This record gives sequence, C-alpha cells and structure tokens, in this order.
Amino acid sequence: MICGRTLFDAEAAMDGSEDLKAFLAGAARGDRAAFASLYRATSPKLYGAVLRILNDRALATDILQEVYVKIWSHAARFDPARASPLAWMNAIARNRALDEVRKRRTVSVDADSEDRHLAAPDIDPLGGRARNEELRRLLSCLDGLDPERRRIVVQAYCHGLSRDELAARFSHPVATIKTWLRRSLLQLRECLGE
Amino acid sequence: MMAPDDDLDLLAAEYALGVLDLAERRETEARRRNEPALDAAITRWERRLAPLAEALPPVAPPENLWPRIESALPAPPIVVDLVDVLRQRARRWKAAALVGGALAAGLALALGLSEMGRLGQPQNFVAVLQQDANSPAFVVSVDLASRELTVRPIDAVAPSGKSYELWMINDSLGRPRSLGVIEKADFTQNDRLRAYPPEIVKTSLYAITVEPAGGSPTGKPTSAPVFAGKLIQARP
Repeated sequence: MICGRTLFDAEAAMDGSEDLKAFLAGAARGDRAAFASLYRATSPKLYGAVLRILNDRALATDILQEVYVKIWSHAARFDPARASPLAWMNAIARNRALDEVRKRRTVSVDADSEDRHLAAPDIDPLGGRARNEELRRLLSCLDGLDPERRRIVVQAYCHGLSRDELAARFSHPVATIKTWLRRSLLQLRECLGE
Repeated sequence: MMAPDDDLDLLAAEYALGVLDLAERRETEARRRNEPALDAAITRWERRLAPLAEALPPVAPPENLWPRIESALPAPPIVVDLVDVLRQRARRWKAAALVGGALAAGLALALGLSEMGRLGQPQNFVAVLQQDANSPAFVVSVDLASRELTVRPIDAVAPSGKSYELWMINDSLGRPRSLGVIEKADFTQNDRLRAYPPEIVKTSLYAITVEPAGGSPTGKPTSAPVFAGKLIQARP
C-alpha cells in the first residue's frame, strides 16, 4: 500500500493519458465540455492530493476550485513533451496546496487525518504486480532507501510536510532531516538514472 | 559524488518533494521564472515523483464543486469571440470592397467590445492592433490581475523566414520592451507583463514589428511597427 492504495488500483488510474491530452487541448481552445471531461477524469486524483496536504475538506475544496480555474486559464501552456497531463496538473495542485499550508502553519502535524484512508502511509512496493514501468521503477528505487528515510520521503510527498514538521514527527533534528532528504534524493536520482 | 550543479538540482528536488518552507518556496519560484535550468530541473523532479502521486488514493470532491468551478471560469472565449467577430468583419469588408475607411477603427472596436462586454470582466483589457481601420491584424488581451497576455492573429501571416514580435512602447520605459515573438499558433500567451506595473501596462502602445525568424537578435526592434494599438478596458 502507498498512502492506502494498492498498486493494482493505481495502474488502472494511469490509463487514459491520451484522453487527458485531448481534453486539455480542448480546454486551451475554450471548450467547456472538454474541460468538464477533464474535471471528471482527474478531480478525485487532485482532490486526494490537495486534501492529503491540507487535511481540511472545506479548505481543500476551495483550493481545488482555484486549481481548476488555473488549469483552465493555463491549458494552452501545457507541453506534452515536458510532462504527462496528470503530472502537470498534479504539480499545479500540489504547489497551490503547499503554498496554502505553509501560509497557515496551524494545521496540526501529528493529529490523525480526518479520514482513515488519508492516514500516514507506508510503502509495500509489491514490485512484481506493478505493470506500470515508471511506478515500478520509482518504487524499486524508494525500496533501496533505508526504511526510515523512505518513510520520511514518502510522507513528505504525500502530506506536504516541511523539514520542521518531519523533524517533529520523526524525532530527529531538522539538520539531520535536511541531510537525509538530500542524500535520499540524490540516491533516488542515481537509481532512476536520469 | 556532488556535481557542480547539484545544489540547483537538489533545490529543485526539495521544491518538487514539497519540503521547503514558505520563504524558500517564494524564493525558488522567483528564481524559477528567470532560470530556465532551475525550471527544467523542477519539471524533471516533478516527473520523477509523479508516479507516486498517481498511485495515491483518489477522493471524490463534493458534488457542488464543479458548478462552482464552471461559474468561476474566466473566459478565454472573450478573446475567441472578439477575434471571430473581427475576422468575419474583415472578410465582409474585403468582400464589399469597403476599403475607403468608411468603417472606423472605433466602430470595429465598438462591435468587438460590445460582443465582449457580455462576457467581460473588469480586469480585462483588450487592444486591436491594426495598420488602418480596415485591417485589424491582432487582438491583444490582458488580464490585469494576473498580467497574463494573450495575442491572437486575426488576419496576419508573417512573411516567410520572418517572425512577428510584440513590443510595449511607453515614454517612461525609454526603449520599447519586447513582449515576445508571436507564435505561429492560434494564440500566444505569456506572463511577461508581470515585470511591469499596471499603470504602464494600461497606458502603453502595443506594436508589432517584422523581425528575423525567432525575434530581434538585439533586443530592440529592427524595423518600424506594422501594426499598433492601445488597450481599452472591457467593461461588463
């Protein structure tokens, strides 16, 4: 399970990239029907990502509204050579949610999430079942990290935790967290070989 | 082994992973706008980590969110509609051989703007760039809130081997400032106006020159403008 989801489900969700490209191209031309299709296909994914970081449904809903308005306005800038549609939209959503959570900073770090399926993740790569090559490679590289450092990286990503928050949650000095994160990221980069 | 550009790549990685604090995020975003290498590194890291995002469990958003989003969508159709109107008019003028200037630019604008007024928002400004009243060539629209600039060609194709380049001309700026090369696409969008205060954006003259392919090599216009116009606020 990664953040509560099996890889099998994850793979099913990764299909349809070509559809998403067509919807985005439609949105870039001002086609609201295409944009509605894009919303239907991607909003549960982006809402999950934003909610996991903000941990507040009303706030996450407001932020997701802004995110989709931005996707609509910027659809013409999407460049399929640089990113998949979902990666591009996900980056917009994550960055908006991260800005918000950093501004607020009163969001509790250690309280349980309001939903069980948003609860703290761990990784069980189930490598053999992952048919998606990119996901399998990333999981296998994450698996090469020391288990605690892997949890730190995954929780940082899933919940948008800052170094201070990671330090509190994992009971290590901030400087240690910073060093571990950087080493883990370098190790991931090397492992992914790009 | 730390390569010389590891600092930049690690900053990109930390940004994409989401562990920077607010001040670091702001600083990184500001740098990103001016440093293509950092921008590319961030995009690479976002792509590397994206499979993880795609593996996260989806959560259905509230049912009422879509109607909220739909009613909040600003209207690129603003520009589309105006351009369509002007294109139709350009065709009609040609067909009727009304080349004597009987239709003033003001009329073209009034027609275009009334069309736009139905959809317009107070922060939207628009300029029709033209050589004379009967040859609207480009529509420039600006969302003053985000300073987003959109250019749409109506009836203009750059001479072969040349590019159209858009400039902002304002006495208080000294020399003309490039707002980018007009792409050979249905429209060109960028945020270069972010570098300028709203007053400058609103009062400047917008002009198009013909430049060597890819834009002026000197950063200054190499020829006289062929089309020009000023922004007008689109009032609802």
